[in-house]
Amino acid sequence: MIKHIFKMIWNKKKQNSLLIVEILLSFMVIFGVFSYGLNAYSNYATPMGINYKQVWAISYNHTLDTKSADSVTMVYENLLNNIKAMPQVIDAGYHSNNIPFSTNHMSGGLKYKDEVIYYINGYDVDQNFLKVTGATMASGRWYNKADAAQRGKIVVINQFLKEKMFGKEDAIGKTFGNAEGKDPVKIIGVVNSIKQEGDYQKLSYGRYNLHDTAAYKWMGKILVKVAPGSGADFEGKLYKLMANTLRKSNIEIEHLDNKLTAYNKFTVVPLIIMSIVAGFLIINVALGIFGVLWYNINKRRGEIGLRRAVGATGNGVSQQLVYEALVLTTLSLVVGTFFAVQFPLLHVFDLPAIVYVKAMLSAIVFIYLLVLVCSLYPGKQAAAVYPAVALHEE
Amino acid sequence: MLKNYFKIAIAVLKRRKFFTFISLFGISFTLTILLVLAAFIDKAVNDTYPDRKRNRSLYANKLELRGKESMNSSSLSYYFINEYVSKLKTPVNIGISTRYESTNTYVNNRKVVIDYKYTNAAFWDILEFEFIEGKAITKQQVDNAEHVAVITEALKKEYFGDGNSPVIGKYIEADNVKYRVCGVVKDLPVISYLFYSNIYLPITTSKTKFNTNKDWYMGNFNAILLAKDAADVPKMQKEYADMIAKLTMPDKQFDRINGHADTYLQGYVRSGNEERSGMLYAILTVTLFALFVMLLPTLNLVNINVTRIMERSSEIGVRKAFGASSKTLVYQFIVENLILTFFGGAIGIVLTVLVLYYINSANFIANLDLTVNFTVLGYAMLACLVFGLVSGVYPAWRMSKLNIVKALKA
Repeated sequence: MIKHIFKMIWNKKKQNSLLIVEILLSFMVIFGVFSYGLNAYSNYATPMGINYKQVWAISYNHTLDTKSADSVTMVYENLLNNIKAMPQVIDAGYHSNNIPFSTNHMSGGLKYKDEVIYYINGYDVDQNFLKVTGATMASGRWYNKADAAQRGKIVVINQFLKEKMFGKEDAIGKTFGNAEGKDPVKIIGVVNSIKQEGDYQKLSYGRYNLHDTAAYKWMGKILVKVAPGSGADFEGKLYKLMANTLRKSNIEIEHLDNKLTAYNKFTVVPLIIMSIVAGFLIINVALGIFGVLWYNINKRRGEIGLRRAVGATGNGVSQQLVYEALVLTTLSLVVGTFFAVQFPLLHVFDLPAIVYVKAMLSAIVFIYLLVLVCSLYPGKQAAAVYPAVALHEE
Repeated sequence: MLKNYFKIAIAVLKRRKFFTFISLFGISFTLTILLVLAAFIDKAVNDTYPDRKRNRSLYANKLELRGKESMNSSSLSYYFINEYVSKLKTPVNIGISTRYESTNTYVNNRKVVIDYKYTNAAFWDILEFEFIEGKAITKQQVDNAEHVAVITEALKKEYFGDGNSPVIGKYIEADNVKYRVCGVVKDLPVISYLFYSNIYLPITTSKTKFNTNKDWYMGNFNAILLAKDAADVPKMQKEYADMIAKLTMPDKQFDRINGHADTYLQGYVRSGNEERSGMLYAILTVTLFALFVMLLPTLNLVNINVTRIMERSSEIGVRKAFGASSKTLVYQFIVENLILTFFGGAIGIVLTVLVLYYINSANFIANLDLTVNFTVLGYAMLACLVFGLVSGVYPAWRMSKLNIVKALKA
């Protein structure tokens, strides 16, 4: 049966080759969209790691006139205390410029047991970070006041980096150095990974350093957790407090939830555009396949009539036509899968292999379904051919 | 002759409405995608508000210091512009502005996010902003560091309310400082990032001292260099490059300095790397995308066309039997196909207008007013032509190879 169908396809290879190429291209398009979409979804499904609601980020730049390190430290410490003293403020803390959902990145390398790992985001934070953002510990502990003395010798890493470095082993108490293997630090805690890049982006390695007093000059952000219902009037007061303390600085207050929405757009907008374009392309292709199959069947009335006359059932004829279409699809998909497999093998884009596999399987199912739907109606038409009428036409 | 082809084409289109629908759907939709893309590019590249003197201008936005292991890239410092750029001989005027930055202000318990930009007086001479009220910041105001501001129409509405009453002379608070409004201009979309802002302030009112940091080239200023006429632009570009080449290294770790005075388009596509222009990359991306979007519908159309042409085999057989050459038939079929594509193109333009209307009214990017203009229509015609030719040639060739006897028999 299959052999016979192959023979018939081969006999009309000129016309079929166009169809095969068309199905092949559709497969690649669907594969691309599914890869992008599934990747975004699998990232979306991992927990955010922080509670970003009612967290505000204040930006400042260091413009104090005084050169004395002690008075600089005092100004910034007093400022934080004044912010914390405001009634609507639950907690507040300093953070380096690379707060969640910002486009700022600061990364470096580390060396552990002769292996160097790059692209580790370094975050400079203080002991309030956990309470402000609602991040949670996977193991160990966060910084406390007493840690100031060991600053630079201890570190908190995120779960994602821990898994890369230690797998299932316990990380607490282990030490690692910088990219050159110097300045060893001891891990005191592992924080559950935070999706710094918004809902749809993958996790990245992170290490959280307790900032020193010199860092006030360049950290640039204060994260503030406010009580629910705090509105613009309170924000205005907070702004005045900042502006009056740091007179020459540019102050901006942003809300993390708004920043997240804005950041998500980088992923969501391309996905929407891709889906719309791919959707229309597929409708276009489906109509085309439908039309070509339908026309072919009309042209083969003589053949169908003959088959019916020698005893084939209507179902048998329509099945044959559907099978033909599906075998054609299989030919395209074999070629398509060959190309698609190269993506995970050659690491074309930085997506996990499992995403590609899932996308490939769903794209294969999708294309089969599409062709099946497009060939059912023409097949049914063929079943309705009366042998006498069809043969009479000949 | 053409009139005949036209009649035949219409008759064929009417014959199998389903196939006609498929063809037109594919063509019009593809063109819509390409036209929306073209409208975006046209807006980003060809819209000359407010820099009407674009063909006389060069834009210096970035400087890059490179060493073996280090790289530092940033906008220019005021010192650099003052000391080096303004001493060039060709430019007749140099506009200076900062990159836009954001701050908040609070009115009537409402938060307003403000993007602000510091400018010098020449900035207003070079750029031709459309003033709805008042006028630009003058040189005297800049020299005296007066707290005046030019705001945009949208900010006026947001800060002072919806009323149409003039706001000149009223005070606006931004970054905790009060400024007197001296002009209101038409808004810009943020994609014109070199000029975009909500509020423009005199450079001298900047809170941080803008002209300290001697001998350091990096800062947060951009410069617009205006030449006497368009012919002087290449000379100005060369003079700028020579000036960069002669700069002394500010630090031992660096061994070369990259910086360019670009034309608007060059500057717009420069992708962060000062060592090579992003032009090729940008053109390649756009072309690949366009080809990719066109590929599937073209194949589809070829497929349908082949099918439809075989349907007309008896007609073709008769014409061939009476002596029509293959060339005539191919020509006829391509013309028919072009007519079809132009029909699809017309529908595509209507769809584009609808889509652009939707994009504009949904305000995805504030103040981005996309339109279908003659440039975009020109692209549309070109795309139609390519589309029609590519999808028509192969089926026509197949048709012309048809055997007369077989064709007549069918």
